[in-house]
This record gives sequence, C-alpha cells and structure tokens, in this order.
Amino acid sequence: MPVQTIKERNAGKVGVVTIGATQEQGGTRTSVVKIGGESSLPFLHFEGEMPNKPVIAMEVVDRVPEEWNDEVKNAFTGVLDNPVAWAKKCVEGCGADLIFLRLQSADPELGNKSPEDCVKTVKDVLAAVGVPLAVVGCGVDEVDNKIIPAVAEACAGENLLLGFASQENYNTIVAACMVHKHNLIAQTPLDINICKQLNILITEMGLTADKIVLDTNIGGLGYGIEYAYSILERGRLGTLQGDRMLAMPTLGTVGFEAWKAKEANVSIEEFPGWGEQKERGILWEAMTATALLQSGLDLLVMRHPEAVKLVQKNIADLMEPSSV
Amino acid sequence: MDKFSVTIMPENLTVYVPQGTNLINAAKTAGIDIESPCGCRGTCGKCQVKIINLGGVDCPDSDYVLACQTRVEKDMVIEAPQFSRLTKHKVLLSSEEKESLLEHGYFKDVEVNPLCKKIYAELDKPDLTDSMSDLDRVRMHLMKNCGIEDVKISISALRKLSNVVREGDFNITLTIVTIKDSAEIINIEAGKPDSPSLGLAVDIGTTTVVVNLIDTENGKIIDSAGTYNKQSAYGSDVISRIVYCDENDNGLELLQKAVIETINELIDTVLKKNKINKSDIPVMVCAGNTVMSHMFLNMPPTFIRLEPYVPGASKYPVVSSKDLGININPDAKVITLPSVASYVGGDITSGVLSTLMSKSELLTLFIDVGTNGELVLGNSDWMVSCSCSAGPAFEGSGITCGMRAMDGAIDWIEIDKESMEVKVRAIGNKKPLGICGSGLIYSLSEMLDSGIIDRAGNILENGSSIRVRMGNEGKEFVLVFAKDSGSGRDVVVTEGDIKNLIRAKGAIFAGIRTMLQQVELDVDAIDRVYIAGGFGNYINITDAVNIGLFPDLPADKYAYIGNSSVHGAMLVLLCQEALYEIEDISDRITYIELSIGNKFMDEFISALFIPHTNLNLFQRCGV
Ligand code: FES
Repeated sequence: MPVQTIKERNAGKVGVVTIGATQEQGGTRTSVVKIGGESSLPFLHFEGEMPNKPVIAMEVVDRVPEEWNDEVKNAFTGVLDNPVAWAKKCVEGCGADLIFLRLQSADPELGNKSPEDCVKTVKDVLAAVGVPLAVVGCGVDEVDNKIIPAVAEACAGENLLLGFASQENYNTIVAACMVHKHNLIAQTPLDINICKQLNILITEMGLTADKIVLDTNIGGLGYGIEYAYSILERGRLGTLQGDRMLAMPTLGTVGFEAWKAKEANVSIEEFPGWGEQKERGILWEAMTATALLQSGLDLLVMRHPEAVKLVQKNIADLMEPSSV
Repeated sequence: MDKFSVTIMPENLTVYVPQGTNLINAAKTAGIDIESPCGCRGTCGKCQVKIINLGGVDCPDSDYVLACQTRVEKDMVIEAPQFSRLTKHKVLLSSEEKESLLEHGYFKDVEVNPLCKKIYAELDKPDLTDSMSDLDRVRMHLMKNCGIEDVKISISALRKLSNVVREGDFNITLTIVTIKDSAEIINIEAGKPDSPSLGLAVDIGTTTVVVNLIDTENGKIIDSAGTYNKQSAYGSDVISRIVYCDENDNGLELLQKAVIETINELIDTVLKKNKINKSDIPVMVCAGNTVMSHMFLNMPPTFIRLEPYVPGASKYPVVSSKDLGININPDAKVITLPSVASYVGGDITSGVLSTLMSKSELLTLFIDVGTNGELVLGNSDWMVSCSCSAGPAFEGSGITCGMRAMDGAIDWIEIDKESMEVKVRAIGNKKPLGICGSGLIYSLSEMLDSGIIDRAGNILENGSSIRVRMGNEGKEFVLVFAKDSGSGRDVVVTEGDIKNLIRAKGAIFAGIRTMLQQVELDVDAIDRVYIAGGFGNYINITDAVNIGLFPDLPADKYAYIGNSSVHGAMLVLLCQEALYEIEDISDRITYIELSIGNKFMDEFISALFIPHTNLNLFQRCGV
C-alpha cells in the first residue's frame, strides 16, 4: 500500500538573525553566524527548510570562575585567568562558533570593574578571535545598564549579541542596540506570554525583530528541562502558525544550567550508583543540549569541550537530509 | 471600666467610650463612619485621623495616625479628614430607576403573579345555624371566591383573627404570600385595604446593601435605600470575612448581626419615610453572593474558601423574618435566592434571571465588574460561569490614592499628549481627593496613549518630567498636585497601582477567554455583553477595551444593566413562577473552577499586558 508522507503546511517561519560583521560589513570578524530561518519543526527537512544549523557559543568569563566544577576548569588549565587566551582556546581547540563573554567582574561584589575595563576586555577578545561575540553583563541591572552601553558604543560595527533585556529592565540596553546596531538577547522566565510581551515592548521601541534572540530561560536535565522543552516547542509552533512576536531564534545557557545539577558534580565515592563523575558531568551537559535541540534551540551556550564535541557531532548528524 | 470622651472635629461631636475602644468605633458611636477596608488590621492605611488634643494637651503638628490602631486611653479630640470618611456612594444611589417593572421584558410572556397579594373579603356572618370557626370561614371564602385551596395561616395572624374580623364587621383584608404553590395568610386587617400590597427586594452586596420597596400590584418601586454593608468593619472582601468568622469565637454571630443591622436600618428608613407599618411587609427576597447568603442565614462559611471549595448549600430554605431578626412582619417570608457554587451566588442567578439570557438564543456574556468578578456565558441552551477574583482594585481598594465612587473621587481624566497636562474631573465637582475605579481605567488608558507607561505597566523615565518621580513605593505619576487637591496631598498613580489594576483587568479578561475556550467559541461569537454591578455604569467602554478589560467587540453589543441582582429579586417578588425559574437557572449553570489546570493561569499571564499579549485580539481598538 502506498504510504503518503504527511507534511504540515506552515504559514510562518523563524526570522534570521546575523551575528558579527566582517570587514566589508563594517566589523572585524573573519566569519559571521546566522541563526534561525526554520520553516518546520526541528530537523524535519522533508517538511520545510532549515537553512542554518544550530550553533554553539562557548562561555568565557572575565574572572576566574572558582565556583565551576574542577572537571570543567581542568579543560581550560592555564587560560582561566585570561579571557583572551581562553576564548582563543575555545575557537581553535574546540571549534566554537561564537564566544559568549560574561563580564562578571563588573559585579560590585566580584571585582567592581569599571565600564572602561570591561570595554577593554571585549576589545581584547575581539582582537584575539575572529568569530562573532555575545557579551552579557554581570546580572546587576544598574551596573549592566552602564557597561553594556559602553561596550555597544566602543564596539559599534561588530554587530555583537548583547544581553540581557528583561521585562523589568530593557530600555537602556535596547536603546544601546538600536543606536550602535547590535543584536539583543531578550530574556524571560520560562513563560511564553511574558516572552511575547517583552518582544512587543522591544519592537515598539523600534528595534527590529531580526535583531532579537530569545532566551526563554531553560532548566537543565532533571531540573525542569521539560518546561523549557515545552516552551520552546510552543514558541516554534506559534511561529509556524504565523505568530510574528514569537518568530525569533532562540538561545539557551546549557552549560550554566547543566553544571548546576548535583548529578553533574558529585563524585563516584559519594554516589557509587551514579558512575564516574567526569563522564557523567559531560553527558549531563550534552544531554541537556541534545534534548533542547529537539525542541528548537538555535544557539547553545556551552562549557565543557567534550560536551561541545558530542553536540557538534549530534548537530551534524541531524542536519543530514533525512531519508523520507 | 473607665470611660473617656472623644471629640470629633470639625463637627465637634463628643461621645464617651470605654477605655481601649479604637477610634473607628468611637467615631461610629458619634455617627461618623470612617473607612476601614482592611477590617481594622492596620494594613490599608485608609482610616487616617489626626489627634489634636490628648488628655487636655494640644498636639498642634501631629501626624496622621491609623484610627483602627489607636485606642482611647485618655480624653481626646481628633480630626477626621474628608478622605478618611465614607460619604455618599455615587454608584449606589444613581443607578435606580423608578418606572414600573411590569414594563420589563420578563413579563412579555409571563403573567404578573406576585408572591404577595392583599385580598379584600366580605365574609358571611356567623349565626346559630352557621357556627363555622373564623378561620374556616376565611378558608371557605378563599376557596369559593378566589380559588385558593388549603391556605395556611401564621400564628400571629391567627391570634388576632377573631378580633379583627369583628372589628371590620366581617369585612377584612388578608395579606397572603404564596411560595411555590403554598399559600399562607401573613396578616389581617379590618375593613378595606389601606395600603397597597408590598414586598422588599434586597441586594446584599459585599460592599453595599440596597433595599427596594415594591408595590407588588403595579410593579412600581416605591422607594429604595442603600448603604455600606456594616460587615466591612470585619474585612473588605469575602475571604477576610470568612477568616474573621473562623478566627473569632463569635465571629459568625457578629457578621450576621452586622448585615441584619444594615438591612434593618435601611428598611426602617424606607418604611418611616413612606409611613408604612412593619406588619405590612409580608415578604422579602434577598440576593447575595454565596458567602453573603451563608452569613445572612447564620450558616458557617468556613469551607467555602477551603479546597475543594464547597458551600453549605446552594439552595436555601424560606425562613420567617423573626428567625433572622429582620424588622418587618414577624411571620414574613424571607427568600434567599439560590447560588451556583461557592463563588457564583444568588446575586448572579438573580442577574441572569433579569437579563433573560437564559431564555434567549443570543449568546450573551454577563460580567459583574466587582471584587469577585463573576462571569456567565451562554444562552437558552447552555450556560457556564466562573468567578475570576478580580480583587477590589476597581472599587479603589489596594490603590494608593484609590477610593470609592463618592464625592471628590476622580472619575475621568485626560492627558494632553504634547504638553503632558492632566485634566481631571471629580465627582460632585469637588476638589479631587482620590481616584475611583472608572478614573483608574481612564488613567491607564491615557497614560499608555501618552507614552508615560509601556504595555507592561512600567512607568518610563522619558514620560513627562515633573509629574513622574520616585515615591515611597517606586515610581509614580502625579495626577493632581497637593495645591489643587482636596486633601492637601498629591493624588498619584504608582507603578504598584498600575500593576494591581492590570492584574484586576487581566483576571476578568482571562476568565472570559477561559470560558470561551471551554465551549470552543471565539470572542466574535458573542452577540451581546451585559455589564452588571453599580460600578458598571461608569465604565467608558472604549477605555475599558483600550486597556483590555473587555473584549474588543463593537460598542453596540455592550449594555449596562446596573444592579441586576436587585432587579432579579424584584422580578421574583412579582412572579411566583420566577422562583422555579431561578432554581432552574442555578441548576443549569455549569461552574468552571479556574484553579484546575493551567488554562486560566496561561490566559491570565497573557492578559497582564495592555491591552493583551496577543494584540490581534484588539485590532478594532486600533492597537
Ligand atoms: S489601616 Fe485602619 S482600617 Fe485599614
């Protein structure tokens, strides 16, 4: 009996966001990254288009992240106190598509670095690597409202991805992105409605939809990943049905969430039933990433080189045109 | 116990109260009502007064104190400012109509058949060949001449029967109340009737109580009166009153007493004014939400607020007024209209009866814009209802400068988009004291249009500079500066107020959407929208749609129906069959519990935006 493949006809598609700019485009990047553009559910190549593969941004912090797991720190021995070298290692050693730079030391309690110092760090990293950059602040609104605009101004032309805009605090950063032509991360707390509301607020200020990447706030494996999964799925379904205020590519801080889990960190001595910690931690991060890829994540922010490698392979496999 | 004097300025009224009395109660003794929406818990800050003299010592620059938290320990003189007082309630008093109810659409295909009638009877006189008892004589007459079989008689009527019959030389007037085909003589007068047949319709609202006196023969409202529900002293919303019942030994007793007192006072006023005897009122029909009905009947309301939210009853027995302490004919019948569920009560079934929506094919949405936010959707085939707990924001509660719709309340505002000049209008052409529900809706809509707030309700810095500032509770927008206000204080709308209001309007809209989803219908399927509740009359539809309180439907689909609760009660008074009908309505309405599942929550969050997260839902209003 002939079997007919059932294909969904979709009215909408995810917008494309370009991060970074080459010399001709007014920046200094050697490559740019495009994300989004899907007109089907994740990896259903037979049904629609998926012109851009999901990409991996590796996390670099401008201070030594003491609190990180030793296993992750060991992978970056010798460069942890040097964001420039660290970024280089991510690009050259691990093939990161982007660098995700956290300016944590601007936090009054973690170094209280000035906006000028922050700008210098970003500039140094830009000079050291050719991939596009995502830059986020330290999480203290008043501080971030000073450093991110300074970075935006100093790096005009580089078409950075800047974060985070939230419903409580979005004006300053949106204005900075508009004036200096950067992309923006719109962050919302695991709620599709608030996500949409923030997009409306941002676009009403005048930033266009093709400059916005959504961070719907994921949960790591075992710690609410199912909420993240269904929200991303709802976002994609909404997009495909033509909801333009959800039709932006998505970002997830996979490494940050996965390595918060106890399961990623405790030793085998403590929990013999859980197996070796090193492998377990890496898989915890990789599993978080692969599950969320299935729900439509476009940009994964990751930490461990081994996990990155596994996910890169997974993405490559998934991007093969399916046999259907 | 010692007593101290409390003098209240500017009236200069002095009362003597026991030591330890709080100032709210002291003022009450003097006949001055101070606002106490939080039930004297010291949390609402609406009961402010100034102490100007304490124990003979003047306190010239004293600050405001909370009257509910201040106890009388010495003789004192206080000043109770206008803004702390309950004055006449605009909403309450102006929504009453005076034409005959017989014009009401309800009587198009239903005969008028009042619950109570006066029947003049000329009885055969007894003699030695006809020694039937007086009562049997009356019964015989009613059977032969009026077709009334099996009439009962109240004991008080029976006690005076023999004398009254002879007083009128066997011509008497009987007042008969018929409830569900069972007739009872409630009163007897000698001779011809000297007043029409009367009945009372009462709306027991959480905030206000309204009593209407009806001539049941011609359906006219003879008079009406309304006032605050005295239960407010124990909390402004139903939940805090239930909690009061649970936490105090005689809580229920106090609450019942408070509402009965409120009703009795109103009855008294109306009867005195119209020179009517108590004994001339044989029947009273009451409509109230489920909690009000429970408290009115002295039934414990405890389990209404506990999961799974079960009321003691949704249909209530007919009781004699003497059992409740209502000051009318002691044997008068008191009917409490049936509820649907814990949070959809007799005020709503009564409203549905009066709108005729249960008889019409048109899909009708009934909205009670009040604290409980009850909604009913349906037609003659089906009806669903829910209660979306909008909270008292529209009544001014929980809003920094919020107040009820009374003199001095801002009920309209306009902001010039260029100059940011603000124009306001206050009720009674007074200097503004605060802002009431309709004023709040205008403010939100105007502040959005002029770019002072964003769609999430955040006050933006780039709004008008002198009017936007940092207050004690975050950012605020000044509507009226102190120099132009009636209280000598700035009238402001804070970011917190805005969020509060957005939650209230979000709850109502989310309730509407959730109901529509349950029956899988679109907003456009709604043929008409009835806005009930006294406050409804003052809502500007365009602004209410503009902020996303009501669905974006053509304005001609909307109609204000005022206090439909008391309206329904009056229809029951005028029509015996309506009692069967309203019970049928209460059985037929399906209650939707909004706390189950995540539908409502999802809808609620998406409605926490002006007008809504899905802007497509509001295209007509030109977003
Ligand atoms: S603060 Fe006194 S009554 Fe609310």
